[in-house]
Amino acid sequence: MNTIYIIFLIFLGGAVFTYFAGKIHKVLQDILFLVSILVPAYLFFANVEIGQNVNLTLGGISLSWGINYFSWLFSLIVLGLGSLAAIYAVGFMKGEKRRGYFYFNFILSIMAMTGILLSRDLVSFFVFWEIMTWSSYLITIYNGNKVQSIGIKYFVFSAIGAYAMLMAIVMVHHITGSFLIGDMIHAYPAMALSMQIWIPIMFLMAFGVKAAMMPLHVWAPGAYSNAPMAYTSVFSGALSKMGIYGMTLVLVTMVNHIPQGVWFREVLAWLGGITAVIGTLWAIQQDDAKKLLAYSSVAQLGYIITGIAIGTELAMLAGLFLAVMHALFKGTLFMVVGAIEKQTGTSNFTEVTGLIRKMPWTFLSALLAIIALAGIPPLGGFVGKWMLYESLITSNHYLLVIVIFFASTAAFLYCYKFLFGFFMGQEEKEWAHVKEAPAVMVLPMLIMALFMLVLGTFPGIILNPINHGLQALGYADSYKHLWDTSIILNSWGNKVVLQPILYSIAGIFLFFIAFLTWKGYKNTRFISTKDISSSGEVPKEDENLTFSVGFMQPFYRAVEPAMRRQIDKYYNAFADGLEATFEFLRRIYTGNGQTYAIYVIVFVVVMLLFKDFLF
Amino acid sequence: MEEVLYNVLGAIATFLVAFVVGMTYGGLNRKITARVQNRKGPPFYQNFIDTLKLASKKSAIHHGVMQHFGPAFLMVTSVMSLLIVPVLTHNQWFPNLNFHGDLIFLLYIMVFGPLGMALGAGQTGNPNSAIGITRGLSQMVGYEIPWVLALVALMIQYHTTSIVGLMAVQAQSGTWLMFSSPFAFIAAVMAMLGMFSYSPFDVVIAPAEIASGPASENGGKYLFTMMSSGSVFAFVKLTLYVDLFMGGADNIVILLVKTFALYMIPVLYSLTTVRYRTEQSIRWFWGWPSFFGLLAILQAVIF
Repeated sequence: MNTIYIIFLIFLGGAVFTYFAGKIHKVLQDILFLVSILVPAYLFFANVEIGQNVNLTLGGISLSWGINYFSWLFSLIVLGLGSLAAIYAVGFMKGEKRRGYFYFNFILSIMAMTGILLSRDLVSFFVFWEIMTWSSYLITIYNGNKVQSIGIKYFVFSAIGAYAMLMAIVMVHHITGSFLIGDMIHAYPAMALSMQIWIPIMFLMAFGVKAAMMPLHVWAPGAYSNAPMAYTSVFSGALSKMGIYGMTLVLVTMVNHIPQGVWFREVLAWLGGITAVIGTLWAIQQDDAKKLLAYSSVAQLGYIITGIAIGTELAMLAGLFLAVMHALFKGTLFMVVGAIEKQTGTSNFTEVTGLIRKMPWTFLSALLAIIALAGIPPLGGFVGKWMLYESLITSNHYLLVIVIFFASTAAFLYCYKFLFGFFMGQEEKEWAHVKEAPAVMVLPMLIMALFMLVLGTFPGIILNPINHGLQALGYADSYKHLWDTSIILNSWGNKVVLQPILYSIAGIFLFFIAFLTWKGYKNTRFISTKDISSSGEVPKEDENLTFSVGFMQPFYRAVEPAMRRQIDKYYNAFADGLEATFEFLRRIYTGNGQTYAIYVIVFVVVMLLFKDFLF
Repeated sequence: MEEVLYNVLGAIATFLVAFVVGMTYGGLNRKITARVQNRKGPPFYQNFIDTLKLASKKSAIHHGVMQHFGPAFLMVTSVMSLLIVPVLTHNQWFPNLNFHGDLIFLLYIMVFGPLGMALGAGQTGNPNSAIGITRGLSQMVGYEIPWVLALVALMIQYHTTSIVGLMAVQAQSGTWLMFSSPFAFIAAVMAMLGMFSYSPFDVVIAPAEIASGPASENGGKYLFTMMSSGSVFAFVKLTLYVDLFMGGADNIVILLVKTFALYMIPVLYSLTTVRYRTEQSIRWFWGWPSFFGLLAILQAVIF
């Protein structure tokens, strides 16, 4: 039997067995859960060859599964992050309720994402897409909070996307008579112009919902923050990348072939830029770490969308590299929040402070992830940001580069808020008992942090598969031309050599650390955060010096006018309008037999009165 | 190996020059401010005395690991940007690692230090530090906009993203960029007022308000490292402006003349105004400076 079948069988069987194993023993359930994620991941990377195809016929429709270099790149994100998040989830879910439900849906959504990447026909693509939506929806409402406001919103937007995709698929089948994605791509250049425009728009709507693109992003902050953090790292890190995967395919294989494609690209690029700005501004304002990261995910996806929408070689490299980086650092950060929530019971900056000495390893991974997120060298985020800026500048998008730059500079504000809010500031007695998270949760975070550090100096490790993936989509080879193992170049020939940067930063840093602490370090004594000079006085023990409410207020005051408008309000107004319409309809269809009898009588009377005119 | 040694020695020499020049400029600033305010003021070498005193002190207490790291992070930014910005046009004596002087790399390495310092200051638990930092980061979002507008205008006009490339453009045409791209120069100089954060943009340290902000829990060697980092960084910023807009400098005398002339802009402007609130300062940068930045881009696109 082919490995691809085996992978899906393990996923499916593992999901069912894990669900019921909880009735026997909890440890067995954990082991089964890990097995049903890690074994398929191993089998996938060890045994599935690129270019391999399997075909089967189900109910008269021939399905085709296979993999190319481009989908292999994304499977690296899905299965890599999925495996680490699974290990983390075992620690995170210890002692929680409804573990079977969580594990079941977790496995199913990993399976669905793998399935999407393997699908070579639209039917299985759609089916897996729906499984992904359902399983993520069920995890979003796992804790039973805010099912109405958050769950329904996520589901409505997903449904809109899914229907758009379904319509596109039906239209494609009507034209080509085949469900194969390859046939669709071949037939596309010969289609009528209206089809050439509507089919990509519908697909982009479906993918835009999952990629949280403005104006389809409103579900994301709620859904990301309401799901358990062990899943949100996958939700934001990998699941949103499915939208990016689909978008890239639509843009490269379809839109590129028509002259109107340039408008698609410009609109998408600007939507990406605006998404980045809006996401960043809202992230700064949040007091809940989960919400902050959720908005920040929206913003980061904006950069990625801009990158792939610009579509030059460098921009594609930038977008896809940022996608990998985003999976790494946002995966880590959501895990950090999960660890803190697990240990303290809250994820609110205004409640918990000063954890740095209690959770040092969590802090270290959070620090590295934040540096990567902010795009500061020597971590990997810088490489992605650099390539994105250079691609925007060399492709003459001067205003967009300012928009993106504004978003990523403003991102420093929430980056600092995240680190300060949790780890810095006054150490309060309330949190004196907090311990470091268990090793099973800390290890995945540290592994990812290490990856980010390595990618900052040797981005070639990831740029190589990206390059192969892009070549599979028809781009030219960009090795040595736009990147090398540790050099990045732009198309004007300017370059950044990354290795000396790492070494000089490390050298300077170590020298000054030595200078500061060489002598007398042993003689200095540690003092508490209460033992400080505040305006020349030493504060008393009971004095509250915690600074966390209204943290970024000066900035918020400056941008306030821009934040008064919210797309969410318009959606709500639209929903209210619909509700009013339904209310009106309800007055007509009262459900009362007598009213209906009157309608019938009135109808008959009208008929009789006007029969001469009507017939 | 020899090359590495040569680079390291060159870096140390450049660092020393930057340190001395930055410190002297800081002293002159104090002197000029005092004379304008009709005081006698400290001697111009007062800053050297201060830093030497601080360097010779021993610390008795600390608040944790990040507090040690903070000033070191700050130094990384100063020295790294010093290594990127070419000090002299044909630098025999001041070789830098250069990394081909990429401007976007420079923009990002410039925030490495402040963010690291912010963490160090955060661990001390002094609320004034954190308030100062939130102000500083907010103001940074303000002045980065005109600054980036100016840089992007230069980049698209001359099709290069490296400082060396822009210097080569000036050497070739014989005109300084401050004349061939005047709007970019105006926007960049206005952004420089924010970078130096002298009055009216001294929201970060705001001495009478939040007790020097981020620096408030640091003393001795820590404060010494921060002060010298500030001096070196001031030199880097001025040299960068000279390289970008004034054709660079062939020898150290010309460099001093040009940088000092530039340095007088924030110094003298600071004497005329009082401190803004943070949001006023941000909006100031998003007003006229950004307008000139947009004009610069327009000029770059059209010509």
